[in-house]
Order: sequence, then C-alpha cells, then structure tokens
Amino acid sequence: MTDRPLFRIRGLAVHAGERPLLSGLDLELQAGEIVACRGASGTGKTTLLRTLACLQDPAAGRLELAAGSPAEHGWPAWRRRVMLVPQQPIMLADTVRDELAHAFTYRGHTAGFDADRARRLLADVNLGDVPDAAPPQDLSVGQQQRVALVRALLLDPDVLLLDEPTSALDLDAAEAVRTLVRREVTSRPAAALVVSHDSGGSARWCDRVLDLAAHAAAARA
Amino acid sequence: MNQAIALGYGDLAVAALLLLVAGGVSVGLGLGLGRQLLLAAVRTVVQLLLVGYVLAFVFGLGTLPAMLAMAAVMIVAAARAAVRRPARTYRGAFGHAFVTLLLAGLVVTTTVTAGVIGVVPWFAPRYFIPLLGMILGNSLTGVSLGLDTLLERVSEQRGRVELELALGATGWEAARPHVREAVRRGLIPIVNSMMVVGLVSIPGMMTGQILAGADPIGAVKYQIMVMFMVAAGTSLGCIGVVLLAMRRVFNGRHQLDLAPLRKQAGP
Repeated sequence: MTDRPLFRIRGLAVHAGERPLLSGLDLELQAGEIVACRGASGTGKTTLLRTLACLQDPAAGRLELAAGSPAEHGWPAWRRRVMLVPQQPIMLADTVRDELAHAFTYRGHTAGFDADRARRLLADVNLGDVPDAAPPQDLSVGQQQRVALVRALLLDPDVLLLDEPTSALDLDAAEAVRTLVRREVTSRPAAALVVSHDSGGSARWCDRVLDLAAHAAAARA
Repeated sequence: MNQAIALGYGDLAVAALLLLVAGGVSVGLGLGLGRQLLLAAVRTVVQLLLVGYVLAFVFGLGTLPAMLAMAAVMIVAAARAAVRRPARTYRGAFGHAFVTLLLAGLVVTTTVTAGVIGVVPWFAPRYFIPLLGMILGNSLTGVSLGLDTLLERVSEQRGRVELELALGATGWEAARPHVREAVRRGLIPIVNSMMVVGLVSIPGMMTGQILAGADPIGAVKYQIMVMFMVAAGTSLGCIGVVLLAMRRVFNGRHQLDLAPLRKQAGP
C-alpha cells in the first residue's frame, strides 16, 4: 500500500486539562487497516481517541483525513467520518430500532436509515434475536456495546475509533465483533484504531500495534 | 369607581398587634422565633416605606430618565437574584441574565403600556414601573430555573451530549433535548399558576384592585392582561438566557466545553 494514507496524525500532543499525556505522536492509517493502540492504564488512550474525534482540541499537531483538516471538513462532518465508539455504551432512544436510526435525524446525514442492513449487522454480532421494539436500556452492557458498534457502522465512517470494543463481551461475541469490524473495514474500505487491553485477541486481529509508552514518557519529560 | 378606604398609621398599629400576639405565642412556647419575627416585621415596614417614598418621587418626576433609572436598578437586582440560585454558574452569567431580563422586561412592558392600556406617555412611571416589577419578579424565576436545568443537564449528562456529537450532531442538535427540558422547567411555575388562577389563588394585584374599590370584572380583565404579560416575559427571559448559556458551553468547533462552569452554593 503505497497510496496516500486515509488518515494521518502529525506531531500530535494530547492534554487532559493542563496535564500533558502524550506528545510527538505520528501515525498513518491506510484504508483497510486495523491498528491496535496499546499503553498502560492512564496513559491517555481514551483521551487520544477523543482528540482524534475532535471532541477536544490537541495541544499541538495536525490531523488529516483524505488530506483535509477538521476545519476544512467541518467539525460535525469530521466526526461523521472519524467516528468514536466510546467504551461505556450510552443509549439514546426508547427502542433498538430508534436507537440505530437516531443519528440519521441529524441534518448532516444525507443517507437514509436502512432497516434491513441494521438487522443484518445485529445478527452479525449475535443480536439477531433482539426485537426492534426492545428498550435498549434493558439490554445487558455487553449487548448495548454491540448495539453501539452497529449504530456507528450504519453511518459508514472512514475511520473507526474503538475504545475497548470487546471489554464487556464473552469470547463468542468478541470474536463476532472482530470479524464484523474486519469485514466492514475491508469492504468500505475504512480504517480502525482500536484501544484494547486484551492483547491476545487484538494482536491476532490487528495489522500492527501503536505503542504509546514512548509518547507518554516524552510528554512527561 | 368607589373610593378606596385609606389606611392611617394608627390602622397599621392595629394590624401590628396581631403580629404581637403571634410573637407572644412564640416566646411563650420557647420557639425562638420571636427575634426573627420582629426583624422580619421591621424589614417589611422599612423596605416598603422606602420603596413607597422612592415610587412617589419617581412618579412625581414622571420623566423618561427617572423611569429608566428606576428600571435599571430593578433589572440589576432581578438579574443578580436570578443567577445566584442555580447550582452552577459561569463568568458572564450575570450579563446574560441582565440582557435577557432587560429585553424581555422592556419589550413586554412597553407593548402593554403603549399597545394594550394606551398610557400617555408610554413610559409614565406610575404604570410602567409596577408592570415591569411584576414581569421581572416572575421572569427571574424562569431565568433561574432555565439556567439551572441546562447547566445541570449538560454537566451530568456530558457522556450523552458528547456521544451525539461523536455521531455527527452539531452542537445545537446535541444540545436541543437539554435546551427543550430547560425551557420546559423554566415555564412550569407560570403555566401552573395560569392553570389554577382564580380557582386556588386570587392574585395579589386583583385583590389589591378590589380592595381599592374597583369593579371585580374590571379587575379580572386587568389580571388576565397581567397573566399574559408575565407568561410572555417569563418565556422570553427563559428562552433567551438558555440560548445564551448554550452558546457559552458549546464552542465554535461544536465541542462541549464545561471549563467555564463552576459550582456555587445557593443564596
């Protein structure tokens, strides 16, 4: 893959409030690639993903998607294409169907909600028997985590930022999530940056690993 | 119209006797409320007499600058009271409350004096000041509740707001459910009182007019106008301050920025 990268991070520094967490971070994601992001607890993995989604500003550095900065894309449009899926699933609607359709009510989403595709994606992550009308708040955390992933995938992002996507899942469900993400990343093609503690499963799944230890040390120096 | 029965200071002394009885009971039972009751009674007399003299002075002048000076003092006091009650605040909250109360108060009061009652001149303090006072007294509750609700919701439900942003919502789209709830809560008191007015409560202004010898139907018409005017002022004030506060916690990059917020103890 010698094409120009889909997503590029240059000299990024990440702060939590006034506290520096990471610095001097460079990364390129090619289309079709899944990269694991590793670092000890408190390194700033979640803060990094928030910064990449432009939910907070970087202390320094540049972000680029398809050669465009967040300002050039417009911030809501950037987040539609560089989509964060937080570790703690939060459900917004009263039924699973409305939950998956919710983001299509935003003005920026021009595509329509595809109910059949939503059902297929649910089935892919072992949620085929969850009825459309079920209140998502009644689902287990592991089920909500998968609903949240499907909710994001339906919006066809170019870059997925997955924060511990399998933390609340059993082995079967975790494997189903990995298979689905790999398939979506390959077919679109998109890219994914995955924060995960489970080094065994994610090592086999991801194409390479971004180790944050050196960048955290540089930020403290 | 019948003549109102004027009260002398001797009549007030008789009314004060009633309070003395209450105070005596408190002292007799050792409730420890005697001093507070006395202080409250003295404050009532002093504050109201003071206001009476100020009103008499301003009414006597009857000029636009006199009315505006008095209105400015009232709006500042209302804005201060409005921003002290919410559990959270931010630098600039007073300014936001002041601007919305100023606009809501002046627009609604002017509409009423010039358009509804047809007072000449429209700024005649005898009409303008009491009407403005009624609007501000109610609107500041709407401003307080709206501000409190919005700041509480975006702080406590930060994860939800940021999730909507992450899914591609604009700041406004992510804030909308919370703005709606803030305005709804700000309007609950006035909507409630419009629902039960006359059934549960006979409003103070109507009571005053009737005691002053006015025909009850005439007093009712005035009261309807006052309720409409107060509801309009409260809605405008509440919506205005909630929108201004929303702009403070969302930045131009459609990020939720809670750094300007700080907690405050109630008044």
